[in-house]
Amino acid sequence: MSQVREPDFDRVVALVLRIGAFGCFFIMLAGLIDGLFVGGHIPVDIERAGVLLMLATPVVRVIVACFLFFQEKDWKYGWISLGVLVILMLGSVFGIGEH
Amino acid sequence: MITALLVILGFFAGFLGALTGIGGGVLLSPILALHFDISIRQAIGTSLVAVITTSAASSSVHLQRHTTDIRLGMTLELATAFGAAVTAYLVGYFNRNALEGLFAGFLLYSAITILTKGGKVKPLEDEPIPAVEEGVIPPYEPKRYPLGLAASLVAGALSGLLGIGGGPIKVPVMYIFMNVPLVVATATSNFMIGVTAAASAIVYYRRGDILVQYAAPLAVGVFVGSLLGARLAPRIHTKVVVYLLVGVMFYLAGHLILHLLRGWL
Repeated sequence: MSQVREPDFDRVVALVLRIGAFGCFFIMLAGLIDGLFVGGHIPVDIERAGVLLMLATPVVRVIVACFLFFQEKDWKYGWISLGVLVILMLGSVFGIGEH
Repeated sequence: MITALLVILGFFAGFLGALTGIGGGVLLSPILALHFDISIRQAIGTSLVAVITTSAASSSVHLQRHTTDIRLGMTLELATAFGAAVTAYLVGYFNRNALEGLFAGFLLYSAITILTKGGKVKPLEDEPIPAVEEGVIPPYEPKRYPLGLAASLVAGALSGLLGIGGGPIKVPVMYIFMNVPLVVATATSNFMIGVTAAASAIVYYRRGDILVQYAAPLAVGVFVGSLLGARLAPRIHTKVVVYLLVGVMFYLAGHLILHLLRGWL
């Protein structure tokens, strides 16, 4: 059975996504509001933090799921999650493809 | 001023996307490229941030309803993330014209597909989606993993290339070929989009193709718009909106093609 009802598992992963989405929203909003009043690079830095948190959210989601699978001794899906994590990391380690 | 326009643009993209099922990414990138004077590559990278935002917000709702198959999603993500990272990398070697041409072709294809299906966007909209409560989903066993992984690879590749979510590919494949109930297929596809888009967005970011001053207001608008759209979706008759969006897609495709021709003449 691939489909095992695990309410706690779902809840933890949902929490990660919610913190990421709402966190980004408020950080970016703060950057925008700051940008109305202040010039210079500070608003842009705040917005950059929001964007980076948004990019990190799915990565954290994979790390948390990976941890939970290994904790449940569900080796197969633990390794699969680790594989997804490696692919995500490759993008940030390997060449950029700039022209 | 531009910031305010971007918030409004994001709001409408998120709102209409949640309402109709036409993803925001497919409209945002060409609008950014054509009307905000940034390169199509930067437009795609920037709208990927909005795609992740939508996925994170809506997927957390699906997860709480326990309709997401995390194991299936994680398995298929091996393929979507890989496909997305590879094409995101390759895009760095594409010239502007090739990318704009591809995008115009994709817009035309999507618009015509929607028209031939009589305005239906959400896959298999005719099927009654049962109200889901905990434990109501009948037991199932996903089948045909090789086919699912192959389709996911294609969906991921398109996502990295064009900055879209790829739901219209993944949902029918999971539902029809992999024996997954429609509610679960929809939720799981949504769940996968965040990781898929992140795999390519990381590459775009490192290349400098995500403009944070554009991405932040866009994501703020998309966030509010998609939450509102998701709430109103069951109550609004969407066919008119779908045809409106198809019109916008034709307009954008035409505009892109004109842009290409002008470059050659």
